[in-house]
Amino acid sequence: MNVKVLGVKRKIALLCAVVMMLSVLAACSGGNGGSNDPAPQEPANTGGQSAGEGNANAAQAEPLELTIMVPAFSTELPDGSSPVLQELEKYTNTDITMQFVPNSSYGDKMNITLASGQLPHLMVVDRNSASYINAARTGAFWEIGPYLQDYPNLSQANPIILNNSSVDGKTYGIYRGRTLGRMGVSINKDWMEKVGLSEPKTIDEFYNLLKAFKEQDPDGNGKDDTYGTVITKYAGPWDIMQVWFGAPNKWGEGADGKLVPTHMTPEYKEALKFFKKLYDEGLVNSDFAVMDPAVWLDPIVNGQAGVMVDVADAARRIDGRMQEKAEREEPYIDVFQAPVGPKGHRDMPTSGYANVIAISKSAVKTEEELKRVLEFLDKLGDVEMQMLLGYGIEGRHYEMVDGYIKPLTTPEDVALVKELEGMNQMLTFIGPVTPQLEMTVINEKVMQVQTANEEIVVSNPAEPLVSEVYAQKGQQLDNIIADARIKYIVGQIDDNGLDQAIALWRSSGGDDYIAEINKLYEEAK
Amino acid sequence: MGSNHDSLGEKVFDGFNYLFLSIFAVITVLPFIYIFAGSFATEAELSERSFFLIPRDFSISAYQYIFSSNTIFRSIGVSIYITVVGTITNLAFTLTMAYALSRRDLLGRNLIMNLVIFSMLFSGGMIPTYLVVKELGLLNSYGALILPGAISAFNLIIIKNFFQQLPPGLEESARIDGCTDLGVLWRIVLPLSMPVIATFGLFYAVGHWNNFFSALLYLNDHTKWPLQVMLREIVMLSQLAIGDINNMDPNYVKPPEQSVKMAVIVTGTIPILLVYPLLQRHFAKGVLLGSIKG
Amino acid sequence: MDSTLQSGPDAAVKAKKSKATVLGSQRPSWIGKVKKDRWLYVLLLPGLIYFLVFKYLPMWGVLIAFQNFQPFVGFWNSEWVGLENFRNFFANPDFVRLLRNTFILAVYDLVFFFPAPIIVALLLNEIRVNVIKRFIQTMVYVPHFISMVIVASMTYVFLTTQGGVLNEAVFQITGRRIDFLADPDWFRPLIILQIMWKETGWGTIIFLAALASVDVEQYEAAVVDGANRFQRLWHVTLPAISSVIVILLILRLGNFLDNGFEQIFLMTNSLNRTVADVFDTYVYFVGITQGAFSYSTAIGLFKSIVGIVLIYGSNWLAKRFGQEGLY
Repeated sequence: MNVKVLGVKRKIALLCAVVMMLSVLAACSGGNGGSNDPAPQEPANTGGQSAGEGNANAAQAEPLELTIMVPAFSTELPDGSSPVLQELEKYTNTDITMQFVPNSSYGDKMNITLASGQLPHLMVVDRNSASYINAARTGAFWEIGPYLQDYPNLSQANPIILNNSSVDGKTYGIYRGRTLGRMGVSINKDWMEKVGLSEPKTIDEFYNLLKAFKEQDPDGNGKDDTYGTVITKYAGPWDIMQVWFGAPNKWGEGADGKLVPTHMTPEYKEALKFFKKLYDEGLVNSDFAVMDPAVWLDPIVNGQAGVMVDVADAARRIDGRMQEKAEREEPYIDVFQAPVGPKGHRDMPTSGYANVIAISKSAVKTEEELKRVLEFLDKLGDVEMQMLLGYGIEGRHYEMVDGYIKPLTTPEDVALVKELEGMNQMLTFIGPVTPQLEMTVINEKVMQVQTANEEIVVSNPAEPLVSEVYAQKGQQLDNIIADARIKYIVGQIDDNGLDQAIALWRSSGGDDYIAEINKLYEEAK
Repeated sequence: MGSNHDSLGEKVFDGFNYLFLSIFAVITVLPFIYIFAGSFATEAELSERSFFLIPRDFSISAYQYIFSSNTIFRSIGVSIYITVVGTITNLAFTLTMAYALSRRDLLGRNLIMNLVIFSMLFSGGMIPTYLVVKELGLLNSYGALILPGAISAFNLIIIKNFFQQLPPGLEESARIDGCTDLGVLWRIVLPLSMPVIATFGLFYAVGHWNNFFSALLYLNDHTKWPLQVMLREIVMLSQLAIGDINNMDPNYVKPPEQSVKMAVIVTGTIPILLVYPLLQRHFAKGVLLGSIKG
Repeated sequence: MDSTLQSGPDAAVKAKKSKATVLGSQRPSWIGKVKKDRWLYVLLLPGLIYFLVFKYLPMWGVLIAFQNFQPFVGFWNSEWVGLENFRNFFANPDFVRLLRNTFILAVYDLVFFFPAPIIVALLLNEIRVNVIKRFIQTMVYVPHFISMVIVASMTYVFLTTQGGVLNEAVFQITGRRIDFLADPDWFRPLIILQIMWKETGWGTIIFLAALASVDVEQYEAAVVDGANRFQRLWHVTLPAISSVIVILLILRLGNFLDNGFEQIFLMTNSLNRTVADVFDTYVYFVGITQGAFSYSTAIGLFKSIVGIVLIYGSNWLAKRFGQEGLY
């Protein structure tokens, strides 16, 4: 029996463990790496450091080391051998480490990263998250607003979106631009022909179309098995449609110039009455309050419903699914702008950006380094980089046909797609316009709708404001209103109940919220 | 337990027992069969038929898709490695500590038991634990997925309880034969506790296999991700509502197909499902040893 | 040792006493015990170090509850706010409703779900054909591996009023559809049924292990005594696993106020929120989505204190009733 040997091993293990523990204790007593921690352990200072020493030429030759943290929407991601990544490094003279974080856990990972004090050079962050706002306020990130004008691409950033994505009026991150007027109404084209209706130009026409889809047997099977539009537990479509009716986009200016939340406007109630009518007449699916958003498209693809109110590019997806079932030349789906309502032609915009890319002060220490990093971000706006990160390498991932991009990758060729996947997450789309994907009929229509939308979108005046009350109670307040809306639509509460819910909202902190937003709004003017 | 002198009541009971358990087993396994069948179905069929057990059009494209790159093989390898090494670590730490704590006369035992129970209820939380792992230099290594969970207090307490129920006479006689405490643990206690070891080995193994969150927190390099991170991400992505996908580039708005999601679930579940039938043998063995020890 | 030189019974007693005191003063009895059990301490050590390093070193995180913690600012520089987070929590108009919902669901769980694996394990134990027994065992533990997201999706597919398979069956029989998913009255039964479906089979494993350790001789003796199967179940099997049952019950009480966040979050909607809001989902909304680390830690601390009271209370009770308890 080798008990003795075992014992010695245990003693050694014990010794190691004790040493380990002591070292941890020692490490912890010094604090956990707050904002003023001068020495992160990652070797972050290479190119920039030597630049600071004055030898500019040598510094330029030395690649800039960058760690970039971005959300991932796939599990097949490029590694160091990806030619796209190598091409990017060559063009920008950098040595890049990509840190992909699955989208569904991005928030947790961001908090952990902030707490650890070891931030990557660049990270994509949610501008609305409380941790980001607090970190920015306490000096985690460079304020880059004053520098942007020095760079050819970044200087073209849209000032309104810059303002929307700022914190307390300061720009701590470069926004990732997105289509502003992204919404649209996708409708089954065959059904429209069958019931003899064309594009719904007004809300009345929209209603008639839904009614016809329910009652006039648009699929021609002789059975009463169709309805108008599909809505799921995700309440986006209601938010969009109430803007059509003239309700503000979250906040609107009242007659006295003060901001009023949307649910306290008369237009909001008008919209809800309309929604209730849709529900009562069976023009929307009866289980909308509980429906799983994962199967949102199914009823349209399977010919049970004919309309979807969401982003315009949903049309492309629905059509894609229907083409998979039975391929044909002509698209199944057509997409239109919002119908005109009593207060004119209005639609809900997106915020114009999806998160911002922030530069951390703990990894990028000097202004010289900052300038090199900004130069990198600026170069990402170049046509070459937008094309590279968006579509890959010409001849390998795509080819140009008549000035349009034609992808050479198919979803099945995972190894090839993988080289490129997720790289577009670092694009800001601030820079010159690049060639487009080859236009199909439906893509063209989506583009038209989204371009035309820019004229009619209603912006949210409170978008750039950061409210303390909302940070504490926002979710509860939102739930009160969202629940009341659904209950009103299905008839569980009447106008009286709706008023009570709004009164509850106000007494639960809503009044403070209104007061704070108005104060911030005044200050920002 | 001869079955020849069963009363009528016992026979009726047997009948109902079989019936009840069979129905229960079918109910529990049907949805998985649906997922299995769905992984071999086409997208069109999946959106049309809400539930089926045999696909109408048989297709293996979902599997072709997920096995077309080496990512899945690599991540399965990682998962197996973490599960095996992790479970061995877990058992080594837990069994030794449980045995020591099972000895009622051990000085300081109550204090340590209270320490263990307290740690089950109060925890520092995600951020402080992360900082400890970071200070130990475990970030981005598989050690970070194994050491911070080396002992589950819950399992420890139950194993300790099992050990306490072993007949004390055996240990006494072994000690008289000149065994130290280590010898007793190795030669007497562990062989007698095979059902317990198999059970908690399984609990730990399944815990490692299913864990995606530590990997997300502690591994920055996506080439090190285990299978569950992939599985989780594919399931979560297919759950996103379209309007929520603001983050995605409009040109690439395409969530994973339903069949791919199902194929990933099947691929991620089958290997660990197979572990249990293998372990079941040890349950029987435990009974056998139990009767010998007499 | 001069005492040995003396003689007579008196002296002998005295000698013994003095020997004991001498030993006691020079080498306290605990040193002897520790020395005797030295190998046990060696066995204990790795585990103990584990608990100190990975559980107690990060324990300062609990103090976040008394701060306004910001991850980037760090623990040492975050502002201390005393009991403010607790005051806000208890003064929250929703507190009573949250407590009520959490409590009712926890009681449902304890009453309906907790015994389920025990019953199934006992029934499985009565199956004498080993192949069938193993086969059923393997089948019932499959759902444990299906993630809650998928379970919630499938629940929708089965129960929706818009063509759900089960609801159509209900419609065929009763002539009307039941809004299982939106009706607040159905929320708790649904949650419990889901968890019973998913975890009962998995839960049986631990009891089956306990049953495997039951001494076969005891059964044989019972058979000789003329006990039938129900009597054997009652007098041999149940007592053999009772201590595991008691321990699992005590440990469950420690997490009494944990309802399983993901499941409830997925099953909540606008129409059933009044009964669905529990501490765990509330913590998610205020804590995770809004970065209120301190506030959610305070709520966690409150739950832990309730848990520790329940765990020690029930442990004490178990011991009064002659059970082993936790230790």
